[in-house]
Amino acid sequence: MNCQRIQESFLDYQDGRLSPPDASAVREHLKVCLDCQREWAGLQEISLKLDRLPPVAPSPRLRTQFYAMLETHRRESDSHSPFVQMRSRFDRLFSALLPARPALQFALACLMLGAGLFFGTRFIHPAVNEETAREIEALKKQLASTNEQIASTNQLVTHSILQQQSTGERLKMVLASLDLKKGDQLVVSDLLSALAFDPSVNVRLSALEALYPHATMPAVRSAVAASLPRDPSPLVQVTMIDFLAASRDPAVSSTLEDVSRSQTYDKAVREAARRALAQL
Amino acid sequence: MIAVRAGEIGKLGELFERHHGPLYGFFVHHTGDRTASEDLVQLVFYRILKYRHTYRDEGRFFAWIYHLARKVAADHFRRSNAAPRGTDPDDLNAVPDEAPHAADRAVTADDTARLHAALAALEPNQREMLVLARFQHLKHEEIARLYDLSVGAVKVRVHRALKDLRDIYFKLSREQTA
Repeated sequence: MNCQRIQESFLDYQDGRLSPPDASAVREHLKVCLDCQREWAGLQEISLKLDRLPPVAPSPRLRTQFYAMLETHRRESDSHSPFVQMRSRFDRLFSALLPARPALQFALACLMLGAGLFFGTRFIHPAVNEETAREIEALKKQLASTNEQIASTNQLVTHSILQQQSTGERLKMVLASLDLKKGDQLVVSDLLSALAFDPSVNVRLSALEALYPHATMPAVRSAVAASLPRDPSPLVQVTMIDFLAASRDPAVSSTLEDVSRSQTYDKAVREAARRALAQL
Repeated sequence: MIAVRAGEIGKLGELFERHHGPLYGFFVHHTGDRTASEDLVQLVFYRILKYRHTYRDEGRFFAWIYHLARKVAADHFRRSNAAPRGTDPDDLNAVPDEAPHAADRAVTADDTARLHAALAALEPNQREMLVLARFQHLKHEEIARLYDLSVGAVKVRVHRALKDLRDIYFKLSREQTA
């Protein structure tokens, strides 16, 4: 055994708890090792001093106070207070039911929390009585009807302003109709009117742009095709041709052929018509 | 203790008579304060009464009482570190005299005082384990259960505490003789 092992076994050696072979090994080592001899002597000396410390005894005050406390407790427990009895029963019940080790208590608490969360989310739903359900249903209907009213009001406002004379306001409303996702006959017909008859090139171009979402409607495509020969602006005509080409409708090809052949149209318009025909 | 748990509170007197002396020794050597030690012993028995329902009959009352004593001592050290307590002069007649004997006072290098000073200079955890092993004569196996350690670890710690105590004691001796 090395010195560290020998010194670690000093306590057992001192108490006579080493096996005879181990005790003999310690004795033999002590005969030859000066360090361990010094260590052993120091340990013996301090142990002896500890053993020789005078015994300590408490004053009589401790006994007096203890029995006073005991008497107080005895009186309380003999008072048969229902609260004390109930608490005592609860204490006994919980101490019998719950585990004593803190680690197990913690594990049990985690388990109960997990189970509570699981059952709570799975099986318990907020209670809704019939009256509340009816009120919610009525509110939903009211909300839907209000939404419809707002949508129709928007369309009416758009329609009325498009009829006004100011180019700026007409243009503004045409641009606003770009936001209307849902095709509405009234708005589409106003846009087509603006495209066909509005004197402002800007308003007509904007109307055409606003009609792009409605290009799937055959009536829109044929109305644009009908407006094409009548429009005085080559710029609007080229844009109309692009619109028709984008719609990929073979029915408009005759109009485009006419445009490409007729010399009354601007050269750029004819060129655009040829390109559109090629695309179709 | 089983009788106490069942409601026979008077039986606690027997437990007090059997254990209050060793418990007082534990607190005196651990805290170095005789007056406080009497209060701490009283507190341990108060807690035994209060928590008697939590006692499990596994033949380990000895371990349970020292488990409570360790908690009480830890609370005491926490309180003393947080706020020093004043003494009511009227209580002084009722408490034991902690001052050394007149003959000892003349000799500052008194062995007992030096040993107490060395004990007080140890780390509280080290001192607690040493007191349990050397003064309360708890077996290493019992201390190991109390601290939830292996027996080997307890032996190493007790040995180290003894070595530290010896070093502090001899250092104090050298300082006082110099």
